[in-house]
Amino acid sequence: MNTPPQPEGSHQDPGAAHDPAITRLLLWYPQSWRVRYGEEFAELLAAERAEQGPSLRRNVNVATIGLRTRLAGAGLAGHPLDDAAAGHAGLAVIAACIAAAVLAGSAMWSQLAIGLQWSVPHSHGVTQAVDLMSAALLVLVLLTALAAAPVAWTAVAAVVRGQGCEFRRPAAFMATGLVVVMIGGRHFENGWPGTGGHLLAHQGIVPGGIAAFAWASTMWITSYWAHPAALAEFPAAQLAWMLLSPVASGFVVTGAVQLLRRVRLSPRAFRYQTRVANLAWTGLAAFLGGSLWWFASGPAGYAGPFRAGAIDHAALGVVTVAVIVGALAVRHARAAARSGFRRALASPRP
Amino acid sequence: MTTPDPAADTPGDAMTSPSSAEQTSALETLGRSSGPASLILASLAEGAKHGYALTKDIESFAGVRLAPGTLYEALSRLEAHGMIEALESHDRRRPYRLTAIGATALSAYLENQRKVAEVGLRRLAGSWAAT
Repeated sequence: MNTPPQPEGSHQDPGAAHDPAITRLLLWYPQSWRVRYGEEFAELLAAERAEQGPSLRRNVNVATIGLRTRLAGAGLAGHPLDDAAAGHAGLAVIAACIAAAVLAGSAMWSQLAIGLQWSVPHSHGVTQAVDLMSAALLVLVLLTALAAAPVAWTAVAAVVRGQGCEFRRPAAFMATGLVVVMIGGRHFENGWPGTGGHLLAHQGIVPGGIAAFAWASTMWITSYWAHPAALAEFPAAQLAWMLLSPVASGFVVTGAVQLLRRVRLSPRAFRYQTRVANLAWTGLAAFLGGSLWWFASGPAGYAGPFRAGAIDHAALGVVTVAVIVGALAVRHARAAARSGFRRALASPRP
Repeated sequence: MTTPDPAADTPGDAMTSPSSAEQTSALETLGRSSGPASLILASLAEGAKHGYALTKDIESFAGVRLAPGTLYEALSRLEAHGMIEALESHDRRRPYRLTAIGATALSAYLENQRKVAEVGLRRLAGSWAAT
């Protein structure tokens, strides 16, 4: 396909010579689209505006399709300009959804595990729900390891060939974040409130050590932020950890997402990743099912240790959004793999 | 507006390669853009045009005014599928022209539409002529 060369500097600000309203309208589109079509699209908008005057209907049309173009570029809507890029973006979105759900879910699950250490739940449903949530989290962790292997292999192979400069920063982000979370999590898990609890038959399959680490790693996901007076009573080191750990977790997720967007998998590896992503989505849905089961297990007016609090409702919201967005991303990653993706992968990356 | 390059692939050359059915489905893979895409291809069959000229031409022959977002969504997909290509431009308006792939896809699509129209008109004539 022949694409005429862009005049030097012309792609810096496609709508610069136009009405500010047109420049604002262009912002609905992703930058890559604006670089390619921005100038001529702004010209068309200016001509339409000169002929017909301002139009709300036209603005809505531009905004809707601009937003759809953004979603397509992120692997969340159909017909992206670049199937391969959208496919990888879709995988990155799935990874982000799993990370968000695992963080929010771990916070919820580890609090339940503390309750199980100290008391017998009011209903068998709670134990069964926690068992399902535990199994789903285990599956998600295993699938994350299975998905990471080919990505790491491809990135390492590129580095060995001397082509891996673009992977250095995401890899550094991930490594830094992981080291901080591991060291901090291992240190602060010693303060786990579940330690010293009784060995109760209703504890189910929750392993105390993992629950303690999950609790320490997600200590910052708490409703204490809404109660500054209570928060001020915390030891300084714990407060510092509650500020540092979300940043470290953010480093891990940002690094993973950047890596997935930059690495170019073979068609076979991409198909493998979409299958793993599909299974991971099933794990996410199972975790959501377990959470809903727990929420539904509490009788009206129940105020015991297994009561779902405000932070649990927020975590449930995060998991629900992750399941919905993850479903869209899986669907479009699979579609990208089917439609022309092989051809796009075979061509050298610009 | 620019005129088509005589040296470029012509629709006639392209008709001989892939089957009509394949090319019809090629246009239909554009999803919700397939309707606007067929209008754009039909307009470009006359010669290269930029965005505003396409809007005016389509309005004149089809009675439909494509909104700017819709037009460029279809244009970008047609270009990504190699059915049209952008030409060099000396101003900010960039003209597009039909490619051989686009001509074949349009031809197959219109043939299919013609068959549907003929069947529909014949059946209407048979069943409703007397009324």
